[in-house]
Amino acid sequence: MAVTAQAYLTGFGRYLPGDPVDNDGIAARLGGDDRVTERIRRQVLAANGIRQRHYALDEHGEPTELNEELAVKALTAALEDRGIDAADLRMLACATTMGDVLVPGFASMVHGRLGGGPMQLLTASGVCASSLAALDAVVSKIRLGDHPRAAVVASELPSRSLRQRRYDGIRAGMDAHFLRWMLSDGAAAVIVEFQPHPTKLSLRVDWVRHVSLAHENPVCMRAGMSGDEAVVGGTWQDGGIADADAAGMFLLRQDVGMLDDLAQAGIRQFEELVDIGLIDVRHLDHVICHYSTNVFRDVAFDALRRRIPTLDTDRWFSNLETRGNTGSASIFIALEEAFHAGRFAPGETVLLAVPESGRFSFAFAHLTVIAPSDSQGASE
Amino acid sequence: MTSTTATGADTLLDRLDAVWAELEERLDQVPILNRLAEGSVTIEDYRRLLFNLRQQVVDGSAWISRAASSFDIDHFELRSAAIHHADEEHRDYLMLERDYVAIGGELDELRAGRKNVGSEALSAYLFQYADRPNPAGLLGAMFIIEGLGAKRAAGWASRFQEVLGLADNQVQFMRYHEQADTQHTGDMDAILTSGLIDGDSADEIVRCAQVVARLYALQLEELDR
Repeated sequence: MAVTAQAYLTGFGRYLPGDPVDNDGIAARLGGDDRVTERIRRQVLAANGIRQRHYALDEHGEPTELNEELAVKALTAALEDRGIDAADLRMLACATTMGDVLVPGFASMVHGRLGGGPMQLLTASGVCASSLAALDAVVSKIRLGDHPRAAVVASELPSRSLRQRRYDGIRAGMDAHFLRWMLSDGAAAVIVEFQPHPTKLSLRVDWVRHVSLAHENPVCMRAGMSGDEAVVGGTWQDGGIADADAAGMFLLRQDVGMLDDLAQAGIRQFEELVDIGLIDVRHLDHVICHYSTNVFRDVAFDALRRRIPTLDTDRWFSNLETRGNTGSASIFIALEEAFHAGRFAPGETVLLAVPESGRFSFAFAHLTVIAPSDSQGASE
Repeated sequence: MTSTTATGADTLLDRLDAVWAELEERLDQVPILNRLAEGSVTIEDYRRLLFNLRQQVVDGSAWISRAASSFDIDHFELRSAAIHHADEEHRDYLMLERDYVAIGGELDELRAGRKNVGSEALSAYLFQYADRPNPAGLLGAMFIIEGLGAKRAAGWASRFQEVLGLADNQVQFMRYHEQADTQHTGDMDAILTSGLIDGDSADEIVRCAQVVARLYALQLEELDR
């Protein structure tokens, strides 16, 4: 039987552009200060519970950075945290919902800006769960022994497409406003290696599971299509760009009526992982769950508590309220903060959970906290 | 006639087995192999071992093919065996280099490396021996080197994997030698018992095996020096 290596997360970094923006500072950047929009914004913010977030926009709403720059800054922070250089990486996987350009792939642009040496690239595009899809690919290559050292970065810069000019003259209902007042910018990266960190804690990746239920669910979150079904003539590429714009195809929309179904489907996926023994609820010490609004925090927390009666809020970590919902970057932004805050102790386990509304995808990763390799075994 | 030859060859194998036993005792004293056995070996130890082995392994097919050219037509079978063996070995180092890169080493640094003092002695001895006319004694060198591959390398690979959590992809060189060198030692046993070896050659083979065993262990003892 083939023997594989282990994969360890050994470095963590994040980048949140600019100063934190509180709820009163949003309109200055994204616009939408008419009374109707104002009312919707307050309503959405009250539901999602986000108190502050970051935008790569100046106080007048003009972009300050590219998505690829956010990614590179997060990667640089993770490399520094690990004490290695970009030249030490043999693979880079980049997750994002939308890069800065249509072509080439996001990872090519990030690698070009980051520098380093020759390396394998992967662009995982999707929505929130693309972060763990990228992680899964890197972890697999590390475990195969194909690469000793790699990085994963998840990065989002949705703010520029949430500004008023995109909404002018376009009918935008709750489906568009829900995301407009929820999403913000940020990036986070992890370094993955086949050996644990010599002097600091590492997180061993025990497994990653990523399941799509698109075969039985319609589109829930969309941009670039006229309705919730892709048909010839109904995507932004089929006709004129101006026509697509006028039809509101460039707004990011979410069918909020489907989110309860999404939450329930996510809980069933979690239950299944418990039932097949991948999650041992007696030995689950930390849960970091990505969710878009605090409404789903309570739904998810209650569901977990049904299986883990001893789960208390100390073992549950989220920084949605202070870092915002940064899509694919959220899970790593939360992991980075939890790790550097010293929440983890050797031997403990961590579950990452990322439900993706796009078209019903669910990703989970199970981690174990590992003591520095220098303190293991070498007892002379 | 056949029976006396067989008896002579058995004696040669017995003598070589004694050399092997002595080598095993010496290997037990080699620091890196000690750490491997007790489980305190580090990834840096494995990287250094590959680095040091590589500088001598790249010479492997060179001294064997030089030996092939030193066999005259009366030793056609040995020349043939050496040519065949050199051909099989001369890409081995590429596997070692891939292992080295797979654990995070830099190929340029590996290729710019120099032999350690043990490797210098071993390589120089083998090349000068290969220059001698009809260097049948080198079968003793092969007995040691192939024997290490066949009997020890896979055990080292498994132990490195066990202690350091390495994937198969990171120990291919040592793994491969278990199969390849088992084949080679089988071929060599056939030569040693074939009647091609006379009494003088047998003495040379045993002597060469003793020297190579000592120098190989020296190569493992003198990492990076």
